[in-house]
Amino acid sequence: MKILEAISLKKYFPIRSGVFLQVCGNVKALEKADIKIEQGQTIGVVGESGCGKSTLGKLLLKLYDPTDGKIIYTDKENNSYDITSRISKTVASKFRRDVQMIFQNPFDSLDPRMNIYDIIKEPIAANGMYKNKREMNNYIASLLTGVGLYPEYASRYPHEFSGGQRQRIAIARAMAVMPRLIVCDEPTSALDVSVQSQIINLLKHIQQENRMSLIFISHNLDVVHHMSDRIIVMYLGNIVESCASEELFNNPLHPYTKTLMSCIPAWNPKEKKLGKTITEGEPPSPINPPNGCPFHPRCQLKMIECEKVKPLPHECGDGHSVACHLYKK
Amino acid sequence: MTYENKVIDVKNLKTYFRGYDGMIKAVDGISFFLKKGEVLSLVGESGCGKSVTVNTIMGLIKSPPATVSGEIIYNGKNLVGLKQNEFKNIRGNKISMIFQEPMSSFDPLYTIGQQINEIVKTHITSNNEESKKLIIHALKNVNIPEPEKRYNEYPHEMSGGMLQRILIAMALITNPDIIIADEPTTALDVTIQAQVLKLMKELQKQYNSSIIFITHDLGIVSEIADRVHVMYAGKIIEKASVQEIFDHPLHPYTQGLLNSRVKKEYKGRDLPFIEGYVPKPNEFPNGCRFNPRCPFKKEICTSEEPKESLINEEHSVCCWLYKEGENNENS
Repeated sequence: MKILEAISLKKYFPIRSGVFLQVCGNVKALEKADIKIEQGQTIGVVGESGCGKSTLGKLLLKLYDPTDGKIIYTDKENNSYDITSRISKTVASKFRRDVQMIFQNPFDSLDPRMNIYDIIKEPIAANGMYKNKREMNNYIASLLTGVGLYPEYASRYPHEFSGGQRQRIAIARAMAVMPRLIVCDEPTSALDVSVQSQIINLLKHIQQENRMSLIFISHNLDVVHHMSDRIIVMYLGNIVESCASEELFNNPLHPYTKTLMSCIPAWNPKEKKLGKTITEGEPPSPINPPNGCPFHPRCQLKMIECEKVKPLPHECGDGHSVACHLYKK
Repeated sequence: MTYENKVIDVKNLKTYFRGYDGMIKAVDGISFFLKKGEVLSLVGESGCGKSVTVNTIMGLIKSPPATVSGEIIYNGKNLVGLKQNEFKNIRGNKISMIFQEPMSSFDPLYTIGQQINEIVKTHITSNNEESKKLIIHALKNVNIPEPEKRYNEYPHEMSGGMLQRILIAMALITNPDIIIADEPTTALDVTIQAQVLKLMKELQKQYNSSIIFITHDLGIVSEIADRVHVMYAGKIIEKASVQEIFDHPLHPYTQGLLNSRVKKEYKGRDLPFIEGYVPKPNEFPNGCRFNPRCPFKKEICTSEEPKESLINEEHSVCCWLYKEGENNENS
């Protein structure tokens, strides 16, 4: 069953200047992205900073309004709604309950003036899930134990917790309304390595228990591979490759994906591999993206065609789609 | 180890801060040395004291209020308690530093050229013509395109990777004996990180300088380091050559760190992890500081602090599981 489907989603942020704040350019954050999220599926999104992966996550949550394109939301009763335009209150409340988010930095995403009980209570109360106070208390206690914290912690404040514990609280908050989809925007990048694995295991367990879908946004290829069924590789606002996660690691096609893979350190002092791979240059600015393929200024296999024509994603079998002129028949 | 080979020798260094709720022992009695032309990597999680260690070496910790004791021997001189104006000849000249966040390490109001010129003026030459030549040469050295143009540009006009390379050029311009790099690639993307690491390796060979490289990423350690010191809660718990650390990690914490890498084989299974959290610096546990999280905890671990025991020539560990000269028990 589908939960969300995005069809040629596009987001430009206008740049305004002058006295009358006239639009003088656009930050092209996301260009024509197509994504389908099924029940129980995890989709990983990888890319460097500024490639539009967080924008994509926020668009899917309707925290931003897209410049162009459609997002189709399917509720539990299998009714579909287009949520890009204004939506009615009933649909909005359903959608908000079904889709939740976990943010990158647990030091910023929890209100320092609210205790843990209030933080977790807020989404529950907003959705009117429990009227009875005792039931609510029990539910919050069960949520806290579910993420590996003691129920007594409910009366404490966020500053009393370490980064890993705070991220657990953020997960409990997202889980509180029993969503069908959670968008995780780099949930482990602010954490220490020894704590990162704890959080990843927890997310995985919760997902399996509740048959939830996840959108897992990260810049760490290893983590994304571990979490996801399908991986989307983004570069400069474009989806350059998308396929099953095993397939991506065994058979990466796009030159950018190959570059990303070669930049993972070896973890073996005998084969120091970083010196061997050369990736010239830096990602260009999304205000003025290059013509043609966005990766061509850094690509080693550049052809004349790449500078002029922008490659569109096309299938190369097995649900493996890539946007590169090299693989055109 | 002969004395001449050691560029810097740190003995029993302690840096304490007074907090509202007791003494914060950020660095608690660590000893290490740095050899000429090697890359020494300090590894540890946030809050383990690795940044405080190098800031103490650089004389950036103001004392008082902080209490610094122990010895940092550089060139036969003890840097602990050295007066600020004496430090001026060493800091930024003989020992220079590359900071973590290139975007916030520059003053946004001055051009790149002006900021590097400040160092050149203090330590090398006050002749403007000469210094400009020197700076442009240094920028060329770190692969900055069009250095003449960049000289007159402001930091906001450049990307993070470029600024980090300029920071490296800045650190190298005085031809220092020691470069301290405090997580120089953490704020950068992977492709840029690979470029910067490669550049650092090349320049290190070219100048034959010694580097103290701080990081929390063991993957980077495997790429760049010659020797590794693992820190936990203000102490160095394991010292070894890089090959030894990856082949025979001894301390349970080091083993845990190496295991918590996300490997491909773990797909569909749980990742191994270290239980619990890093203790806060004002409430370190008694005995071995790792004992609340350690899977091999014994009685002695909670009461007495383990001493450094030498396993072989290039490997020593602070753990009750190991005795001097033997390499046995669990793995």
